[in-house]
Amino acid sequence: MRTFKLAAAAILGTTALTAPALAQDIDLPIVDEPLELTIHMHWPRAQGYGPGGDTSKIYPVEEVARERTNIHLVDKTSGRNTTDNNEAMNLLLATGDLPDIVGGNLIKQPVNQYGPEGAFVPLNDLVDEHAPNIKAWFDEHPDIWDAIKAYDGNVYYIPYLPDGKYARAWFVRQDWLDALGLERPDTVEELYDVLVAFRDQDPNGNGEQDEIPFFVRDWEEVLRLLTLWDARSTGADVYHQFYVKDGEVVHPYAQEAYRDGLANIAQWYEEGLIDPELFTRGSSARDYLLGENLGGMTHDWFASTSGYNIALADKIEGFNFIPFLPPKSVSGNRIEENRRIPMKPDGWAISYSNDHVVETIKYFDFWFSEEGALLANFGVEGKTWDMIDGEPVYKDEVLNSGRPVNSQMYLEGAQVYRGYPQDYRYEWQWTRDSARKGIELYDSEDLLVEQFLGVSFNKDEQEVYDRYFPSIQTYMLERQQAWILGSGDVKEDWDDYIAALNNMGYQDVLEVMNSAYERQYSN
Amino acid sequence: MSSDPDFISSAGPKTEELVFDAKEAQRRRRASRMQRVGDHLKREWQLYAMLIPTILWLVIFLYKPMYGLQIAFKDYSIFRGVAASPWIGFEHFETLFNNDQFLRALRNTLIMSAYGLLFGFPVPIFLALMFNEILNQKFKKTAQTIVYLPHFISSVIIAGIVITAFSPSAGIVNTILGWFGVDAVYFLTKPEWFRPIFIGTGIWQEAGFQSIVYLAAIAGVSPTLYESAVVDGASRWQMMWKITIPSILPTIIIMLIIRIGNILEISFEMIILLYQPATYQTADVVNTFIYRQGLQGGQYDFAAAAGLFNAVVAFILVMTANTISKRYSRTSLW
Repeated sequence: MRTFKLAAAAILGTTALTAPALAQDIDLPIVDEPLELTIHMHWPRAQGYGPGGDTSKIYPVEEVARERTNIHLVDKTSGRNTTDNNEAMNLLLATGDLPDIVGGNLIKQPVNQYGPEGAFVPLNDLVDEHAPNIKAWFDEHPDIWDAIKAYDGNVYYIPYLPDGKYARAWFVRQDWLDALGLERPDTVEELYDVLVAFRDQDPNGNGEQDEIPFFVRDWEEVLRLLTLWDARSTGADVYHQFYVKDGEVVHPYAQEAYRDGLANIAQWYEEGLIDPELFTRGSSARDYLLGENLGGMTHDWFASTSGYNIALADKIEGFNFIPFLPPKSVSGNRIEENRRIPMKPDGWAISYSNDHVVETIKYFDFWFSEEGALLANFGVEGKTWDMIDGEPVYKDEVLNSGRPVNSQMYLEGAQVYRGYPQDYRYEWQWTRDSARKGIELYDSEDLLVEQFLGVSFNKDEQEVYDRYFPSIQTYMLERQQAWILGSGDVKEDWDDYIAALNNMGYQDVLEVMNSAYERQYSN
Repeated sequence: MSSDPDFISSAGPKTEELVFDAKEAQRRRRASRMQRVGDHLKREWQLYAMLIPTILWLVIFLYKPMYGLQIAFKDYSIFRGVAASPWIGFEHFETLFNNDQFLRALRNTLIMSAYGLLFGFPVPIFLALMFNEILNQKFKKTAQTIVYLPHFISSVIIAGIVITAFSPSAGIVNTILGWFGVDAVYFLTKPEWFRPIFIGTGIWQEAGFQSIVYLAAIAGVSPTLYESAVVDGASRWQMMWKITIPSILPTIIIMLIIRIGNILEISFEMIILLYQPATYQTADVVNTFIYRQGLQGGQYDFAAAAGLFNAVVAFILVMTANTISKRYSRTSLW
């Protein structure tokens, strides 16, 4: 372990001496003679650095990047026969033979854990000296720089930085509202009345009370209702996460607002306002309940949910499933808890075995330059897009090919999980009108809440967290489902529940969370 | 004759000769034993060649991974590797036994296995006996195919079928209950229903296929026994009790011992597909606990400790079962 660290330090030392101090602009090509760097690139769309994971072919984007930078990325991906990213990363680390660049999905945790052990090169000084574009981006977003740091205060990877704000939204069958002569619900009380009306007044007009007023695809989405009682269900873009409350990290499921919110959800479930098969319906819930004209309201992704208006236009007369603003909570707050996270645990890092760290960081920097970012987002200019009035615009054959634009981009080598800033203009061009209207509606108010971007534990903190938290979370979810299903009453059980959490080490977990949080975000 | 003193004295020199001959023969035999083994191998090499894949499989997939078991006693870092990670003794085991959820999982594993054994083990025997009594060949073949079929369906699909069958709105179970005026039950979120559903599904899926072993054993029973029984005027019922069952009893006991050895290896992929936090109370077993803590939570060393403990318990169970069986029925695995 020590030797890796020393090797890395030696590389840094020598290169820092020999490399000329660069000006703010980048010079292309980065190297005069072609330089080959090996890369591990394992991500959901492709296991390997080539179109669809076929490493015998070269991405059109990579060809242009080679031409411009003279740096040639050569595939050396571990675990190409599995789509399980975790497994691939473990295989890679277990071999100990790391390629020059390690990239892909969910690399933050391993990179920040093994970086300080010497497996990856710290990037702080390299970025300062050789990567003006990366530096400029993070100077504007210091909170994100803090969020990607490892516990030793160093940064070990350049993240994929998604653009765009909204992810999921509240959707309602506007045609059902019209049929029953109701307004779109604006408060939690009105929401309740609408759901009761959906249940009792047969809005689908088939003469049976078979409507499911509120349904979700992932059962966890039902917890978004908690925000209507000023509680939270998560602090990030995945479920059940910690969040920051008054400058302190806490878990949403240990707050009193949660107790009251969950009591109401249980009440709604009992009254039949929420899908009775909530926990087993699974991912086909939306297809089935919308397709059978049974579902009235949900919380789901803007783009894909809007798509049902086209898919079901012929099947269900007047089908109109549209986004509406989150209802105001009991205290009059209106929030949309779910949003796109501004920084992903995906991206790329430089491994200890890389002999060209300066060239590599310059190469990383290329993808943050205007030219590189356009290439990473839209593909090759003149092939998939043109610059029209200073805006990158997709060619008609890309927009109207019948295949989703993102799938086309993945094959071009654009929108790959490099470390690069995503550009929302890429997605907006192929977002449907109904979703665009919804996004504009959500943009009309200040709905979003701060995301908790996570902390990097040191070894002792990680140990405490690993020892206690998996069991605590299991217990939280067990009680949560039991209360929703009506076995036990959350208000009666609350004191015992909190006592049990503390007994299981909840306070210790909070302590390490907060010490890590302070270290990470205090400067 | 041996009491005849004359015989002894007259045999005196002969005995020496005999001893010499015997020793000589033994020496020759010893030398030729190697040769005989060689001859045997030469003659039967095909049989031994057929053993090789199994031995390779054992070594590669069962013995070699044992090297990795040491991480149960180590503070394992995947980048440092198995050998370079520091030893920490029994710390993971201490954590394990202070974890209520592990103890609950262990209890659930034992309960579910015991129920599985109690209800699941006799079914394939009944099935085999019943198939044996069917005289119409066409009907027999069809019935067998139907009961084997679920074995060949993937667990994911079986779980889908189960979830649908027990759905409160569209499921066949609740529909039938509805005819009798029973309110729909959301079975898969009720802890008290999880075990019956899981064990029932297991029986439905595997009983038919497992009955093949017993059918084979029944086919091996000598027909002369039945013929003489018929001559003696035995009924079919008597023949089943007096001939068939005693004849296949060794098979039954061997299957039972094997089954006890695997008692802690519940088909946990099925549990993962069917359980919910709401049913963890009765559904969470050691393997699902390991899956959540170790693979989802990334605690490989801790999960290895749980897995090792599981194996130790299984080992004790199979040893005990084998010893008991050896003592009382003279049938045993080794």
